[in-house]
Amino acid sequence: MRTRGVRAGIAVTALAAAVVLFVVLAGADDPGTDAATTQLQSAPTTTGGESQAGSTTTQPQDAQVTTAGESPDPQPPATPRIVVRDGRPVGGVARLEYESGRRVRFTVHSDVADEVHVHGFDIMKDVPANGSVRFEFPADIEGVFEVELETAHVQIAELRIEP
Amino acid sequence: MRVTRVAVTSAAALGAFLALPGPAAAHGLSGRADLPIPEWLFAWAAAVVLIASFASLAVLWKSPQLEEHDGFRPLPGRLSRLLVNPATEAFAALLGVALLVLTVWSGLAGVQTPQDNFAPTFVYVVFWVGLVLLSIAFGDVFRAFNPWRAIGRGTGFVTRRLTGRWQPPLRYPGWLGRWPAAAGLLGFAWLELAYSQGDDPSTLAVAVLVYTAITLIATACFGTEAWISRGEAFSVYFNLLSHISPLTVKDGRLGLRRPLSGMSTLEPLPGTVALLVVMIGNVMFDGASEGNPWVEIAPDIQSVFVDLGLSMGTSLELTFSVGLLIALGIVTAIYAIGVTGVRAIDHRPTVTVARSFVHTLVPIAAVYVLAHYFSLLAYNGQAIAFLSSDPLGNGWDLFGTAGGTIDYGVVGATVVWYVQVGVLVAGHACGLVLSHDRALALYGRAQAATASQYWMLAVMVAFTTSGLFLLSQANQ
Repeated sequence: MRTRGVRAGIAVTALAAAVVLFVVLAGADDPGTDAATTQLQSAPTTTGGESQAGSTTTQPQDAQVTTAGESPDPQPPATPRIVVRDGRPVGGVARLEYESGRRVRFTVHSDVADEVHVHGFDIMKDVPANGSVRFEFPADIEGVFEVELETAHVQIAELRIEP
Repeated sequence: MRVTRVAVTSAAALGAFLALPGPAAAHGLSGRADLPIPEWLFAWAAAVVLIASFASLAVLWKSPQLEEHDGFRPLPGRLSRLLVNPATEAFAALLGVALLVLTVWSGLAGVQTPQDNFAPTFVYVVFWVGLVLLSIAFGDVFRAFNPWRAIGRGTGFVTRRLTGRWQPPLRYPGWLGRWPAAAGLLGFAWLELAYSQGDDPSTLAVAVLVYTAITLIATACFGTEAWISRGEAFSVYFNLLSHISPLTVKDGRLGLRRPLSGMSTLEPLPGTVALLVVMIGNVMFDGASEGNPWVEIAPDIQSVFVDLGLSMGTSLELTFSVGLLIALGIVTAIYAIGVTGVRAIDHRPTVTVARSFVHTLVPIAAVYVLAHYFSLLAYNGQAIAFLSSDPLGNGWDLFGTAGGTIDYGVVGATVVWYVQVGVLVAGHACGLVLSHDRALALYGRAQAATASQYWMLAVMVAFTTSGLFLLSQANQ
C-alpha cells in the first residue's frame, strides 16, 4: 500500500505462492483424476478389495460397496445384505457406496414386515416378516440418500452415489 | 429439519447414544444430502482465498470508490412503470397474503408428512432460501410480497378512514434498532434446527400464526413502516440481503446502482452486528450439524442433559440449542478478534468500530446461505410445482401438476460442489472489497488503512475457510 515497489512485491509474492501451491496440490492430490477415488478409499470399512485396481471412472467391474454392518460372506462381489432385527438394522446404518453410472444392488432381510423406501430414487418395495427383498437399479443420481423402513421411520442404510 | 437428529433420537431411545449411526442423510424434506466437497477442491479453494486476499492488498484501489456515491442510473421509465406501479404493488401484496393463508391452512388441515404438505417446503425452501436468491438478484422483492406489511397498511388505511386521523401509540425507540429482527431470526433458526417438531406442518402453521400475531400487534403499536423496516425479522433479513443487488427503487423509480455500493450505504443501527452474527451462525451450525466434529460431541452434550434427569427428546433439543449457541459464539469471537485488532489503530469504542465494518459481513452471510442450501433449492424447490397443485396432500390436482416428482438429475454432485465453493469465494472477495473501501474512507491512505485491513482480512479468511471446511466435512 505504501509505495509502488511494495505493492509490486506483494503481487509477485502472491503469484509465487500460487505457483508453489499449484505444484504442491497438483502433486499431492492429482486433481486431474476423479475425486471419487479418494472419497471411496476413505470409507470406514471396505469389504470390496478392488478399489486400487484403476483410478479411472471407466473401470469395468462394479463399484465397490462398503457396509458398516458385518457381512457373513467375505466374498467381495457379493450383494450387500442389510439385516433388520427387532426393527433395527444389525450393525447400525449400513453404508452403500457406488460410482455414478453403476448398478446399485442390495437385499434387505427383515424380521418385521414393512416397506423399504430408497429416497431420491423413490423406489418402494414391501418386505414381509422374516422375508427378504432385493433391489437393483442404476446409480444415476449423485448424492447421499436414505434407505428407510417407511412405516417404522427407521433408517437402515445410507446410499452414496459419487460422481 | 435434519434426519441426523432423528437418527440420534432413535439411537438414544435405545439407550445407545454412543453408538450413533453415521451422519446420515439430509433434510427431513427429502431424504437426500450433499456429498462432502473433495479434499483437493477444499485445498484449492482455501489456497485461492488466501492468495487472492493478499494480492488484493497490492492491487485494489487507493481511494474509496463505493462510499461517496452509489452511481444510481434509472432504468427506462417504461420498464420502471411496468414493474413498479400501484397495480403490481396491490397484486403482489394480495399474493403475499394469499400465500400466508395457504401456508397456515395447509399446515393445519393437510397431511402431516412434511414432504407431502405445502407448508414445510414453502417455508423452508421457497421462502427461506428462494427469497434469498431473489433478493440478491432483484433487490427487495419481499417488500412487495410481504403479507404483514400488506395487512398492516390495509388496516392502517381502513382505520384512518374510520377515525379520521390515527397515529401509532408508540414511537419506535432508536436504541431498539434491529434487535427484534435478530431475535426473530434466532427464533426461526431454533425452530428449523433445534426443535424436534420444526418441520411438522401443523407446528409450523402454529408458529406462523404466533409470529403473525406478534408482528401485527407490533405494527399496530409502532406503525407498519417503523416495525417492518426495523423489527420484523424477515423484512429486515431480506432487505439486508437486497443491498447486494444492483437493482433498487429510488423515489419510485427502478434503477441500477454500482455493484456492492448498496452495502456501503447500510445504516449500522443497533442490533445490526447481532443480526449478522445470527445470520452467519445459524447456517454455520446447520452445516456443522451434518458433519464430523458435531456428530462426535453431540452425544456427550446430550448425555449431560440426560444425566440431569431430562428426557431423551428434550435433551436432544437442548443439545442442538447449545450447538446453535456455540456457533453464534464462534462467529462473535471471530468478528470480535478482528474488531479488537482494528482498534489498535482506531480508538473509537468497540461497538462503533464493529458497526463500521458490519456491512462487510452481508455478502459472507448471503453466500453461506447460498452454498449451504443450493441443492435444497435446486431439488426440493421443484416440489413446490406439485405441492401447489395438492397443498394439503389429500389428492387434489388443481393445476394438473400433482403427479410430479423431484428430478434429482437437474444438477449433479460436481455442479453442486463448484457452485458451493464458487459462491463462498465470490462472497469472500466482496467482503474484502467492502472492507478495503471502508478502511480507506475511515482512515484515508495512511498506513492505518492497511493495518486495519490485515485484521478484517483475517476475519474474512476465517469465515470463508470455515465455510469450506464445513462443506468438506458434511455427511462424511
